[in-house]
Amino acid sequence: MAQASNSRSRRGAVGTTTGFLGRIRAGVGHHSHTLQDSLKRLVKDPLQTILTTSVIAIALSLPATLFVAVDNFRQLGSGFESFSQITAYVVSNATSEQIVNLQNQLKTLPEVESVSYVAPDQALEEFVNSSGFGSALEYLETNPLPPVFVVKPKVQARSPDQAKRLMVKINQMDHIEDAQLDMLWLQRLHSLTQIGQQAVVTLGTLLGLGVLVIIGNSIRLAIHSRREEIIVVKLVGGTDAYVRRPFLYSGVLMGFLGAIGASCILALGFWWLGGSVAHLSDLYTSQYRLTGLGIIGFATLVATGSMLGLLGSWLAVSRHLKHIKPR
Amino acid sequence: MIQFDNLSKRYPTGDEALSNINLHIDAGELAFLTGHSGAGKSTMLKLLMLLERPSSGTLLINGKNINRLANRKIPGYRRQLGVVFQDHQLLMDRSVFDNVALPLQVAGQPRKEIGRRVRAALDGVGLLNKERHSPMMLSGGEQQRVGIARAVVHKPRILLADEPTGNLDPTLSAEIMALFQRFQDVGVTVLIATHDIDLINRMKCRIIRLERGMVADDGGAYGSSL
Repeated sequence: MAQASNSRSRRGAVGTTTGFLGRIRAGVGHHSHTLQDSLKRLVKDPLQTILTTSVIAIALSLPATLFVAVDNFRQLGSGFESFSQITAYVVSNATSEQIVNLQNQLKTLPEVESVSYVAPDQALEEFVNSSGFGSALEYLETNPLPPVFVVKPKVQARSPDQAKRLMVKINQMDHIEDAQLDMLWLQRLHSLTQIGQQAVVTLGTLLGLGVLVIIGNSIRLAIHSRREEIIVVKLVGGTDAYVRRPFLYSGVLMGFLGAIGASCILALGFWWLGGSVAHLSDLYTSQYRLTGLGIIGFATLVATGSMLGLLGSWLAVSRHLKHIKPR
Repeated sequence: MIQFDNLSKRYPTGDEALSNINLHIDAGELAFLTGHSGAGKSTMLKLLMLLERPSSGTLLINGKNINRLANRKIPGYRRQLGVVFQDHQLLMDRSVFDNVALPLQVAGQPRKEIGRRVRAALDGVGLLNKERHSPMMLSGGEQQRVGIARAVVHKPRILLADEPTGNLDPTLSAEIMALFQRFQDVGVTVLIATHDIDLINRMKCRIIRLERGMVADDGGAYGSSL
């Protein structure tokens, strides 16, 4: 009989002599054992696992797709910033000498690439031709249009902020009535992008909650089917943490696999759309190409999935373990 | 080792399962707990396993009052006990080895130590050659011996058994009881709840008879006082 062959061993498991390192090694061993066990359980019931992870994958792929779309939209917008230009209206009583001086002044500004002058007569002619008010405009006794400079900033000064600063600068120059930045449509694009980002957050939150519910439910079922085991483990002195651990691992694994699945869905969509987008962009002689999730996006997606898995299983476990006696 | 002082247990339904129990079981003693169903045997074991808390009185284990043991300390307390159940409570989806290893796993023992101790415990109940089997493939007597191996694998100081021979024939029951006596021989305190009067009368051990929640008899053989 090996039991209690000496007095020390009679003190029971609580008093066993295991070194600190040995305990750590046992702890690590236990964790890897639990992880393997959770994996085996997932493999044992492939249909259930595939169903659950696909639902998680689809739920995660929706906000991720929207995120990538908004990101691409934003990049497309930043490409258009090169078209930003400033329209400077000269006071209408300016002499031609003053106008020439002004043009030279504008040209010498360090931020400015080019300046073109539109004379009032030329502008009126363009307006008559393009607006369709031609006959009505003939009734005007004088030309109401001011002389105009169209200023194009240099490449390095084309961001919305820098362009705005340049606009203010021009506005303060002599004989300038008003300077305007043709950025309204850029601002519209910007706020559209912001709405898109808010939609990502909203959709992400809602579907994230959905993932929590999905994982929580399958953990609830797992707890139910392992009820007998939980009771025995508690009877032989298993702590709550010990009982909880395999379920938490299962939850994290489900979230992790779901996120991998979502990445696959995204990669598939990217591959499918990427070719046509490149073709379209070539037709516009643009260098624009679709941008995918990227390595950081992928890592974020996987981390989010795993965290949702952990949270969902934690909620389910703390809710349902309470109802299993013994405490 | 085990001491009940004026202990009562009343269930929320109003039934008094135990009233004013005074008992003392020494370290290394083997005692039987007997009585009709509903006399309070199971309640007594449940109190000892901290599955239930007493309504009044104190329960001392090894000199410590466990009445007010915090819930988070219950697992640590249960690791000092070995429990054998009537329906043996084995997990059918894992091997005999893994079943016996469970108390060591929950205590975080290193794998090597677990293997050594599990084999020693299985050797002790004569089932070393069945470690890879599923409990389902074993006979009732063998299953109960696996249950006993699991109860003693972590070398508890107190061994509790609830009707361990309830479903076994007399020969097997005698074998199981002999096994319990061997644990007593090495210093374990053993408390066995049983109906099997004939068997325990032959064993010349202390017999505690409960009746309607009270100690009716506490003596050497059934019906006679020490």
